Amino acid sequence: MTSITNSAGSFFNRSLAQMSDLRGGIERARSQIATGRRIERGSEDPAAAAQLRSVARREALSKVEGDNAARLGQDLGAASSELEAVTALLQRARELAVQAASAPAGDRARQAIAFELEQLGEQLFGRANAASLTGEPLFAGQSSGAAFTRDAAGNVTYAGTATSGGVPVAPGTAIERGLPGNAVFEFDLAGTPTSAFAVLGALTTALQGGAGDPVTAASGAIAGIDGALDTTNRAQTILGTRMAWVEQVQEQQGERNIALAERRSRVGDTDIAEAIARLQQSLTALEATQSAFARVSSLTLFDALR
Amino acid sequence: MPSAIFTIARSGLTQARRSLELTAQNVANAENANYSRRTLTQGELVMTGNIGNNAQDSLGGVRPGIIERAESSLVQRQARDSSSALSAARAEFLAMREAESAIETSGVYTGLVDVEAAFTRLQNNPLEPALRLSALESARKMAGNFRIANGTLANARSLVQAEVTAEALTVNERAKELAEINADLVGSREGTAGRAALLDARDKVLRQLAEEFGIEPTINANGTADVMLTGTPPVALVTGAVASAVSVSFAPDGTASFAVGGTGFVPAGGAMAGRASALIGMAGLQTDLDTIATSAISIANAAQGNGAAADGSSGQPLLAGTGAGDINVVLAAAEGLATAPAGAPAGSRDTTNLAALLSALGASTGPGSRADTLLLGLSSRVSALETRSEGLTVVAQSAEAELLRETGVDLDTEAANLVRLQQAFEANSRVIQVAADLFDTILGLR
Repeated sequence: MTSITNSAGSFFNRSLAQMSDLRGGIERARSQIATGRRIERGSEDPAAAAQLRSVARREALSKVEGDNAARLGQDLGAASSELEAVTALLQRARELAVQAASAPAGDRARQAIAFELEQLGEQLFGRANAASLTGEPLFAGQSSGAAFTRDAAGNVTYAGTATSGGVPVAPGTAIERGLPGNAVFEFDLAGTPTSAFAVLGALTTALQGGAGDPVTAASGAIAGIDGALDTTNRAQTILGTRMAWVEQVQEQQGERNIALAERRSRVGDTDIAEAIARLQQSLTALEATQSAFARVSSLTLFDALR
Repeated sequence: MPSAIFTIARSGLTQARRSLELTAQNVANAENANYSRRTLTQGELVMTGNIGNNAQDSLGGVRPGIIERAESSLVQRQARDSSSALSAARAEFLAMREAESAIETSGVYTGLVDVEAAFTRLQNNPLEPALRLSALESARKMAGNFRIANGTLANARSLVQAEVTAEALTVNERAKELAEINADLVGSREGTAGRAALLDARDKVLRQLAEEFGIEPTINANGTADVMLTGTPPVALVTGAVASAVSVSFAPDGTASFAVGGTGFVPAGGAMAGRASALIGMAGLQTDLDTIATSAISIANAAQGNGAAADGSSGQPLLAGTGAGDINVVLAAAEGLATAPAGAPAGSRDTTNLAALLSALGASTGPGSRADTLLLGLSSRVSALETRSEGLTVVAQSAEAELLRETGVDLDTEAANLVRLQQAFEANSRVIQVAADLFDTILGLR
């Protein structure tokens, strides 16, 4: 005999499966609201999880690049303020050279000028070996030692490297860390390589009596000091341009970070309003299912028979 | 003849009582999924005597027939096959989800990204001891994450293997049980309650076997079931009263191979097939994980070899190991990180070599991007398995509902039967009362 019946077991199984489905949905919505994350494991949405991973990588790198840019900005700023001081110093040296070149100035006055020039030379050497906030030499290129060294005879030579190397501040963008000292303090004068140190040193020696005609020597030195000023000014311009570049990159970084955060939020965050609405809907459905189950399951003929 | 009335009524009473017993049995087993609804057949009993040409009928009431068991081999088979398919998908899904958790939560990918970030930061000032140390430690953390991933993956694998071993034992028990049931069925009599119970037990064992392996049972005329396990090649598990034993062995890469009575076979359905497929997937994951780890090792060490450390000496290997299980940092001190190119003097802030390392790490063939691909592939597979097992759940549920509808107990019908049979019982008692009255009337004649 095969007859179709409404099996009690089948009714209970079906109801239980439906209720546990609803319960599962409620549990998921609840944990989405509690954690604020739409995806708990990659398999819930593989494509979104992959996007989240690449956003997370980009964010981690972007944070580091932001720090790099900030520090690079500081270093460039420090170099720039050193160069400002160097410019002022060279200008003072030029004034002194002009004074010394004027005939009325006597030997005594030239001695005083020579003394001041010697101090300026010391200061220039100090500034050229200046260090950043973290103690790295500002003008030594990629070398970590002093940028300029002075031998016993007072000759100053550049000890750093010819390039300073880039710091990555954005995907595909690296900005030079600073300027190597030879580009800031060394230049060609009428086809002969010389340096700000050599020009000041030679003038000081001449005024101290090292040259027969200090006036001619002083007027001759003016051209050298002008050359040093030119080089410093050019270096200052380059540093200024790089600082502006860093600032621009930082601005872009800020915008990119916002875009990244928005993307992460769009892909991976729970839409709270939607989740709560869904939770409420599931709760209502579960309550309705439970009470329907309670009523229907008590509807057997056994209850009617007394 | 009053005595005939007695006999007729008594047969009616017997029939009603036995039917009531069966109804009670049905109600008691309403929630027993392995129970098949029973009914009692009945036949009219008429005795005919012939003397010469005179035929005389004598009514004998009702004859209780045999116990019939609601049966539908087609629906049974449907339920078995769908539960087989569901178990396969489910077992594979659960196992691969473990593997997904193992690799996702161990932070292999985040570890690689952190290394990239720490080395990018180092580019800012390659000689700063704090940055060097944090770069070295990020490499140590990454190596640790690889080892954790390796360990948790091995753990997930051994859980699945333990399940395979345990379930193989259960299958062997079930096969033996079925062989015993087969032996008992041969001796049982048609239409008895005992036979119906044996058939219930047979169907139950078949369903349980189907959850573990895809099966192809043959139901013989005497009710016994021979079971073939589907697969390549199909193998006989139970033939009559003889059961073969399933054995499992594991290869070094963790994959399982099965044999029945010494004949190797690849199961085609059931949870075992799902677990076997998951073990193959895990072996693939292990290979991929090891490849990523060795690629990280070789990229880092190649970069070290091309560069100079902080003191100008040539770079020594940063990582060592042969895979995800033993990847480790071997560089003794952070000063040894070769940020500068080979030949650079001591204290060089040249980061050319560091930049080369970073571009190799971040390249589309680098470990980070490989780990991403691995995770994407894995989570897509798990997601597909989940969808499949959800779909198969619906199919299996409806097949089971169908089965219960065919064979299950409907309490309303049974309640109605109770009332009907109670009335029949009362009516038959009433007939006896009438017969007794008739007899008394005759005895009272004076």
